[in-house]
Amino acid sequence: MTANAPAAPVVSLTGFSAEYRTRLGVTRALDGIDLDVARGELLAIVGESGSGKSTVSQAIGRMLPRVCHVTSGSVHVLGRDIASLAPDAIRALRRESLGFIPQDPIASLNPTMRIRRQLELALRPLGRPTDLESLTELLASVKILEPDRVLRLYPHEVSGGMAQRIAIALTMAREPEILIADEPTASLDAQVRDEILTLIVDLVQRSGASLIWISHDLGAVRRWCDRIVVMHQGRIVEEGPAAQVLDEPRADYTRTLVAAIPGRQDPTTKEAE
Amino acid sequence: MMQILRWSAGRVMSALITLLGVSVLIFVAIRLMPGSYEDIILGPLASAEERQLLAEAYGLDQPIFVQYFAWIGQVLTGELGTSYVTQSSVSGEMLERIPVTATLTIMAMAVTLLAGVPLGIWTGVRSGAKQGGAVGRVVSSIGISVPEFVLGSIVIFVFSQFSLGLKVGGFASIGTGFWPTFQALLLPALVLSVFCVAATARTTRDAVMGVLVEPHITAAVARGETAGHIVRHHVLRNAGIPILTLLGTITAYLLGGAVIIETLFNLPGLGSFMVTGLGRRDFAVVQATVLFAAAVFVVLSLVLDLITSALDPRVAVTGKAGS
Repeated sequence: MTANAPAAPVVSLTGFSAEYRTRLGVTRALDGIDLDVARGELLAIVGESGSGKSTVSQAIGRMLPRVCHVTSGSVHVLGRDIASLAPDAIRALRRESLGFIPQDPIASLNPTMRIRRQLELALRPLGRPTDLESLTELLASVKILEPDRVLRLYPHEVSGGMAQRIAIALTMAREPEILIADEPTASLDAQVRDEILTLIVDLVQRSGASLIWISHDLGAVRRWCDRIVVMHQGRIVEEGPAAQVLDEPRADYTRTLVAAIPGRQDPTTKEAE
Repeated sequence: MMQILRWSAGRVMSALITLLGVSVLIFVAIRLMPGSYEDIILGPLASAEERQLLAEAYGLDQPIFVQYFAWIGQVLTGELGTSYVTQSSVSGEMLERIPVTATLTIMAMAVTLLAGVPLGIWTGVRSGAKQGGAVGRVVSSIGISVPEFVLGSIVIFVFSQFSLGLKVGGFASIGTGFWPTFQALLLPALVLSVFCVAATARTTRDAVMGVLVEPHITAAVARGETAGHIVRHHVLRNAGIPILTLLGTITAYLLGGAVIIETLFNLPGLGSFMVTGLGRRDFAVVQATVLFAAAVFVVLSLVLDLITSALDPRVAVTGKAGS
């Protein structure tokens, strides 16, 4: 599936290894990761906590925490080796091509500012319009019902789902080519979770961007994604088309994961648990 | 609007209760000190009649609560009484001395803000870097742990021994214009501010480091915003809240520190007035100055609370905005 991707991949990790060096010792986070993401592809990375999937997403934006050191390999984004980019260039890349959707949407907003001010601050440096009408329109595009009221609120006054819509609006307003969502629905309840995922996938498909979606939720992943990468202990243990990986898992670890999906017999009713 | 009013009324009430408490404490404490007014003024050899006459003259023979209510009654009418020692009006003397202490503490506060906050931001932002951290810690530890009478004595010695451009003394020029006053008060203000600079730098550093790991900063970095933009718009506003809280404490510290610094540098301010009054058991002077310092502190904390609630909508007194 990956081999016959038509054009050059938008994201490409080659033999990428990294480790966390803390006072408590050295922990291997990623071990020789090879991963290509094609333009317009909807890719899911699944695996248990600590399997290294978040580290992969951070590595793509060169946003690894200070204690995480790259030991070998490279990350190319849109054909550029991001390790070699100057601070200005990496900022421009994050600004213009990458979009991160946060795990905890409320915490991803500045608690001391009204939504409107935050949107203005984030969009003005990009040269995007920040007048009331454009901002109202922007929030309406992520299906926020009373955008002019929401603009006047502080982050602690909106619900998790609403905050995630705002965060998505902030990200999509920049029309990124690569969208990285690290468990974007982890802090949301089941019904809102579905709405948010539909919104993300819808926006991604309309803009033609690629989506790298880090998830625990195998049911939802199967429904939305083209391809699944299964990670375990810093390695990719299996990858392939979503249905194939989930229905006929080859690696032992994938089998354990699939077996753990609640209501496996009837994924449409209980998958959101 | 109602919420603001209710909140303000509550705060004013609690401020008044605080002041009442301070007035009782200082009134009782000064009378509990060993060595009464009569002992200090008349000496150990005075006869019982002499002591009785003196006590009567100042009402000191009355029961203590009668004395207290007489004093509070005076204060409420705006009269702070006359000095037991110099017989001059306490409020008149205070009016002459307040500008000295006010200028001294405002200068020290300015130094604290202008040096402490930028230093804290700089070390906070650079906290992950290998160099600089240790130096910052050593400097702030010294700043916090050296008492100002030690530092003040060293400064007085050095500046009076060698001509370094700033004179120690020459305080007659205070009040004769901006520049002479500034020059005369610069050294005391610097000594007074050292602790506050160190404490502010440390608090600011911790606050900045705390904000830097918050998800909304990560989100801003992920959006490709520049470091300057992030610090200006997202870090400072959030880190400002603990810094403001500290400023309240620092104000109290500066008012207390002024007592030591004014005595050390022989400045004609409120602090030295208070200390002299205390030595002479000049009750009227001590009560008035302590109560005034407490009032200044209470008003300032009220103002700081208002600013904090404006900065952080989560502790807002104004209720939910826009909903």
